[in-house]
Parts: sequence; structure tokens; C-alpha cells
Amino acid sequence: MMDELTREFLIESQEGLDRMERCLTELEERPDDAGLIGDIFRSVHTIKGTTGFLGFKRLEKLAHAGENLLGMLREGKLRADGPITTGLLELMDGLRSILRTIEAQDSEGDGHDNVLIGRLEELQAPALAPAKHARAAAGSGSAQSAKEKTPAAAIETPAGPTSSSIGPSSAQAPATVEDAPAAEAPTSGEKAVSEKPGPESASESGKSRTQAGGSAAESTLRVDVTLLNRMMNLVGELVLTRNQVLQATAADPNLTLLSRRLDMVTADLRESVMKARMQPVSNIFSKMPRIVRDLSQSLGRKVRLQMEGQETELDKSLLEAIKDPLTHAVRNSLDHGIEPPDVRTAAGKDPEGTLRLRAMQEGSHVVIEVADDGAGIGVERVRAKAIERGLITADRASLLVERELLQLIFLPGFSTAAAVTNVSGRGVGMDVVKTNVEKIGGKVEIDSRPGKGTTLRLRIPLTLAIIPALIVRSVQQSFALPQGALSELVHVPPEQAEALIEWMEGAPLYRLRGKLLPLVFLDRLLMPHADHKPSTERDNFIAVLNADGRQFGLVVDGLADPEEIVVKPLSTVLKNIGLYSGATVLGNADLALILDPGSIALRAGVTMSSSEEEGRDAEVEAGSETASSMDYLLVEVADRQAAIPLVDVLRIEQLKVSRIEYIGYRPVLNFDGQLLPVEDSGGVLAAVAGDPEAQVIVVVCREGNRHVGIAVSHVLDVAAGGDLFEAGTSARAGSVTLLKSRVTGVVNLGGVPPLPVEETADSEWNQCSNGMVEAAQ
Amino acid sequence: MSTHAVAINRKEKSAVAMVEMCSVRLGKTLFGVPITHILEIVGGARPQPIPLAPPYVGGLVHYRGDVLTTVSLRHVLEMPPADGSQDLLVLESGGGCFGLLVDSVGEVLTVSSATYEPNPSILDERRRALFAGAYKLKDTLLVMLDPERLDPIRLESMRSESMRPGSAQAA
Repeated sequence: MMDELTREFLIESQEGLDRMERCLTELEERPDDAGLIGDIFRSVHTIKGTTGFLGFKRLEKLAHAGENLLGMLREGKLRADGPITTGLLELMDGLRSILRTIEAQDSEGDGHDNVLIGRLEELQAPALAPAKHARAAAGSGSAQSAKEKTPAAAIETPAGPTSSSIGPSSAQAPATVEDAPAAEAPTSGEKAVSEKPGPESASESGKSRTQAGGSAAESTLRVDVTLLNRMMNLVGELVLTRNQVLQATAADPNLTLLSRRLDMVTADLRESVMKARMQPVSNIFSKMPRIVRDLSQSLGRKVRLQMEGQETELDKSLLEAIKDPLTHAVRNSLDHGIEPPDVRTAAGKDPEGTLRLRAMQEGSHVVIEVADDGAGIGVERVRAKAIERGLITADRASLLVERELLQLIFLPGFSTAAAVTNVSGRGVGMDVVKTNVEKIGGKVEIDSRPGKGTTLRLRIPLTLAIIPALIVRSVQQSFALPQGALSELVHVPPEQAEALIEWMEGAPLYRLRGKLLPLVFLDRLLMPHADHKPSTERDNFIAVLNADGRQFGLVVDGLADPEEIVVKPLSTVLKNIGLYSGATVLGNADLALILDPGSIALRAGVTMSSSEEEGRDAEVEAGSETASSMDYLLVEVADRQAAIPLVDVLRIEQLKVSRIEYIGYRPVLNFDGQLLPVEDSGGVLAAVAGDPEAQVIVVVCREGNRHVGIAVSHVLDVAAGGDLFEAGTSARAGSVTLLKSRVTGVVNLGGVPPLPVEETADSEWNQCSNGMVEAAQ
Repeated sequence: MSTHAVAINRKEKSAVAMVEMCSVRLGKTLFGVPITHILEIVGGARPQPIPLAPPYVGGLVHYRGDVLTTVSLRHVLEMPPADGSQDLLVLESGGGCFGLLVDSVGEVLTVSSATYEPNPSILDERRRALFAGAYKLKDTLLVMLDPERLDPIRLESMRSESMRPGSAQAA
């Protein structure tokens, strides 16, 4: 069993090496940055110092050799050119592998590092001659202060390539020496962090953050991840208990205040614990410069790496999960995307390619973008390869359009690389990226323009443990449907079921805005042998789901309110059923199984139709036009189109106009005792006021902490909107958006005036509107 | 033979030990579960049914922040389902925790390991795989249930093996 000290040492050393790795890649750009060299020196020095009294001789020897080289760099006797950086990277790898051995076997292993040590010493050769003079001046070194001791030790090494170089000075080097180089670093004339203005400044901010990290160390604490997981579980439990308490005490005014407090504290606590699990994506981004450096060297590419949004945070477990997919994506961009310099020059491009890694938060998702300015994906080559590898028949391939062809690269076993290299081309690639990202509830989108480059977007949910879900009812049970997969809900009352649900030789279909949507009846899927009420004798709610590119409608008997659910894992036996991704406890203490839309689609045999594919890709394309685009519900109000931000839309109600009531002149809707002000600026209600049987559509939206309704004539579509900028300024025009290439006005939800409560003397009205506000909170 | 039974056999040889068993009544038989394997006894459990789950699964219950898969002892023993509410034993096994649904839980009995005997050879094969022998009480037998043998994962492998013709022997 490893002792506490060693474990601590391993963790610290790993962190030191991570820091070193970051600095080394920066060192390539700024070989004269003394601050960077000082940082690297400190990392290696700390390792060496600690191994001294832990007794890891092999590690000490290697670290010592590295330290000598770094010492010379620090004193300005050497310049950190290409070979030296390579040498230092090898040193880092060497140290890492010994640390790994220690972690696994609690000993350093039998290997020796003479070759590497020899190389490190060779690299010092040009500086040797002056070093000897310095030695004469400095004396034996062992009695000197810690500050001067290290350089002295550095000079002793070149004497011989073997262990004899571990002189008394290094063996004695106590851990307290750590601070000395820090004090020394600025003396070499340059500032520790050189803030160069220019195109690099974006990634620079990330760097200065990491460098500032040292001082923050005292106010931070290492916490075991299992403890955090446990805390997350308990908080989840508390959330459930809170939900139950809130439901149970809703009727009791004495408890309202208390339960409101409980609600608030729970929400705060939950947020704090979630935050504790968050880590900046820089944790994985920081690995990329090294990967890009090594790969571009071995592939003969010139690549500039730009990283943005490193401070974006993501749950630790998710961060771990996307590490490999992201590395894959970066490798792919270098291998298949960015062309060799001569090809680029011939194409009139900068011989140095650009790989851009960008992380940003978009609502409840984090988007990580890997964009290169390479050749793009040649769809004809994709077609040929897919046929060659037998992934698709030639007949079928000839029918596919460009967008569909692009999706082929996500098929298992696909690779366009002409030869199998050690970088990629083994047919393990994009499908792994896709499956891994989808496993954690994320999505992968790809956009490629020939000659311009390829952009891969990984869309990752912020957290796994607590997700918003819609509670649906079927077979007398509640089920949770993750909101992420849900795009809209359609209500088909029993009297309309006959007309609206069409059957094509046993296959139920619904016309959703003119397109056929395959339907899956949840009750028939779950209980294939039982008798079920036909849809003409019960309410049908169609949940339009998007799962792995398949769109289908899941028909359930009833809907309950959306809830934030805490995902509880299922036992293996139940997971193997394949339809449920977990279970949760609802506010009313009932258990509900969480449905997995992807598996339902598979089980029901829903596949991707080509028209869907096209639509989906068109959306992706529209989405990638501008980074800040968002989805809108496109509606028609009195012959004019308008857009409502989709995030604010709660549901769409189709109802008889007679259900609309009026307070003074204000139309309102009474929903289970909750009053909803209805905005009718388009005169939709007024137009049908004479006919009490007429149907109107009300889009129920969230505005701040209240709900409002917008009366519309038709709901047309859901589309991604682009930002519009006022000509000549960079000010975003807030009230309009670019939707399907048309400038469309965005409905101002905040402009819907609050209910005129003072006009209603009746106290019952007051209660109702209060109830609504409470519910909204 | 399960590890537990082995342990008991060994004890029998060395010295007479007293074992505490939680008694469980199901139909006419008295069963016993060693209390060392019981985490909690929950009365009046209402498990949530799971559509398409294997038949022996009695449903899901919420237990201290986790969702437990339950095994219906009635179903395992091929008895008709119970009418009223059932009691739930939360058991610990190698594969984790699971719930065992029984008609009612009785008192804790202290039995001597000297009265233990392994499964009789005439017991049908399925029951031989489920039971871990019996303790001879004064007036009746206390049939020993071993949580390891009732673990849903093991039941699942038993089921899939029995569904494969020709390999039933292996179970």
C-alpha cells in the first residue's frame, strides 16, 4: 500500500508536469521568456527535491539531469531552441513514465534512463565551456545558500554521464529551495508573463490564469472525487425531498414560508455542489498544444493552434468523457483537414494552417468546436470510400446528397486516409467520437466546406446528474422524458384522432407541418400483449423527439408538468432492457423510469429518413453561420411572420376561443386556476370573436418569472435565427433575427403588460394571479 | 455450493456456532435470511412495476437515495402473485444491493449451526440452486436463503441458461 506522502508526491508531480507541458509549448513561441523557463525549472526542481527524501533514485537522477539543462537555460547560457524543447519534452515524458510506474508498482521499476540523460547532457554542450569558468568562481557549492546551490549543481553534472553526478548538493537540496527560483526568475530581465498584444492574446489570457494559479493554491483544497459524487447524490436526494415537501405543504399557509426557505437553500446548495464538480476545459485543452506539436511535426504540417474559452467549465465526469473524443477530433483535423504547407501555398493559402479550439456555454450545454482551415471533406472521396469499405451500396450512395454523404464519416469503420498511419486511418475515428459524445447525452455536428475547412461541434450537457424532463403518463405509470430530446408536443384529442393519426399498412403517422412523422405508441411498446384503448377513445399526446438524428412522435396518454429530475442509475438487469436510461423520484414520491429516446427509436424500428437528414443538416448549417444563433419558433400573426425565442416557449395550446376570458379589455386564459395574460396585438382573437367554436392557438411562454400567452394564427416552424447587426455599427439588433434568410421580428415577451390586478376588486382573482407567480418561481 | 454454505459447513466441523436468522414466511414454508446480510426491513413496500422487465423482477423501490431493483420471491418460487402489500428485505450481495419482496417478515431466530443440513438431493434442480440448505427447528424446517443466490444478476444468468436448450444442466 502506498503511503500518504508518496501519493501526495505523485499528485503534486503530475500537476507540476502538466504545468511544465503548458509552459513548454509556449516556450516554442517565446524561447526567450525567462518566466516560462523559471516555471519549468521549478516543476522539475520540486520533483527532484522531493524524490531526494522519498528515495526514488532513478527519478532523482533524471530530474537532476533535466534540472541542469534548465539551469543553464535560466542563466541565459543556452537558448531554448527546437532540439532543446524536444529534449525537455522527452524529459517530461520520461518523468511521467517513471511516475506511472511508481503509481502502479510503488517502485521505480528496473529501467534506466541513461540514453535520455545522455541526450540532455549533450544539449548542454555548447554552454559547457563558460560553465567551467563559473564553476571555478563558484567553488564547491555545497555550503552555499539555496539560491546559488542549484546552478552550482548544474555545473557538476557534465563531468560524467553516470550517477556520479548526484553530488552532495543535490541530495541535500531541501524542499524549501522551491521558492528560490521564483525569486530569481525576474532577474533575468524579462517579466514573468509577457503580455504580447496581437492575435495570440486570446489564448494568452488562459495562460496568465494558469500562472496566477500558484498563489491561489493556499485557498484551495484537494477533495476526493468519490466524496464529491457522494455529495452530489445526497444533494439529489435533498432536491427530491424538497420537491415532496413543497407538494405536501402547498396547501398549508403556515408552512409556505418555511418550505420556500428550504427551496431556496436547496437550490443554492445544489448549485454550489455542482460548481464544486466543475472544472475548466483548459484541463483538457492544455493537452492539445503538445498533441498538435508532435503530430504536426510527424505529419509535416505547419499548424497554429488557437484556443478560446478555456475558462468554460464542465462537470468533471463529462470532462473526462470528452477527452478522448476531442483528441480524436484534433488528430483528424491535422491528418485529414490541414494540408501540407506546399499544398496550402499552391492553393493560395497561408502555409501555416490554423486549428481553432473553442469552448463556450450555450444555455444548458457547452459547445466545443474544433475548426480547421484545411481542405474540407471531399464528399466524392467520402462516397467512394464508403462504397469501397462496403458501408453503403453504390446504388444507395449515388442517391445521397452532399449533406448526407458528410454523415457517412460517422459510420463505424470509415476512414478516408489513403494509408493507415499511426495517426489515423485505422477506421477508428469519427464514429468513436460520435458514440462517446452521445453516451454522455451530447451531440456531434459537422460542417465542412471544400477548400475552406471543417468545423466539428461537440455539444455537451452541463451536467449529467440533474436534468430537466417532461413527465408523461402511459400504462397507468409516470415516465420521464429528457427535455433535451424533446422538440415539441402535439395534442390530439380523441375526437380528432381518427382524422389526424393516419395509418399506412399498420404504421401510424402524423402530418407535422406537412411532413409525415412516424409514431410510436408507448403503451403498445411497453406492453405488447395487453389490450390498449384505441386512440379515438383517449387523449393522445405526441411528444416529437429527436434521437440520434431520428425524428419520431412518441404517443402517450397524458402529460404532467416538466420537472427537474435527479437521475438514479438502474441495476444491470434493468439497464439491459434497453429502454430506460435511469429512474427518478418525482415530487409526489412516485418513482418514474427515464425513457431513452434513442433506444425507443431503435426498438420501434425508426430510422433516419433522407429528408430528415437534409433538414437536420440544413439546421446545422444555419446554426454554424453565426456562433450566437438561437432557435426560434416561427409563427404567423395576422399574415405577418414573427419569431419567439424557443427557449422561452413552454407549450403551444390549441383551444376554443370561448375559453379566453376578459378582465376589462385584457384577454386572459384560466389554466387550472392559474391566470395567463394573453397578448393579442395581431388581432387574432378579435378576428374570431364572433364564433365561440373557433379554434385559436396560444403560445405559452416564460417571461421572467411569469408566464404569458401569445395569440397566433399559425405555428409555422422551428428554425435557427442569425443575429443582425445595424449597418455601420456592431450593435446587435435585438428585436429582429434572420430566420430562413428572412428578417423576422422577435416578439417582445417583456412587453406583455402584467395583469391589471387592481382592476379586479374580486379577491379570488388576486389569489389566482399570486398562484401563478408562485408556480412560475 | 455458495461460500456461505461452505463457511457454515466448516463451522460445523470446528465448533457449534449460533447464527441469527430473520424468519420469512411465504406460503407454507418458513425461510431464513442471515441477518448479517440484511441492511433494512421495509414494511408495506409498493414497488413500481417496470414494463418489459424480466419476470422475477418485482419492481423498483426508492431506498435511501437509490433506486433498488427488487426480486419477487413468490415469482422465483413459481407461486401466484401476492394480493396485499408485501414486506421488503434490503439485502447486500456481491453485486450490490437489491430488495427481496416477501409476504411478511417474522421474528429473528437464533439457530445452532449444528442443526444445519445441506439441500436434500430430491429437491428439484431449480430450488436446489436457490436454497442454501436448511436448519432443523423443533417443529419445522427453516429453509436458508442466500442473498448471493437471489441476486438479480444471478437470476438473470440462470434464466438465460434455462432458455438455452441443452445447457440446463449447467444451471
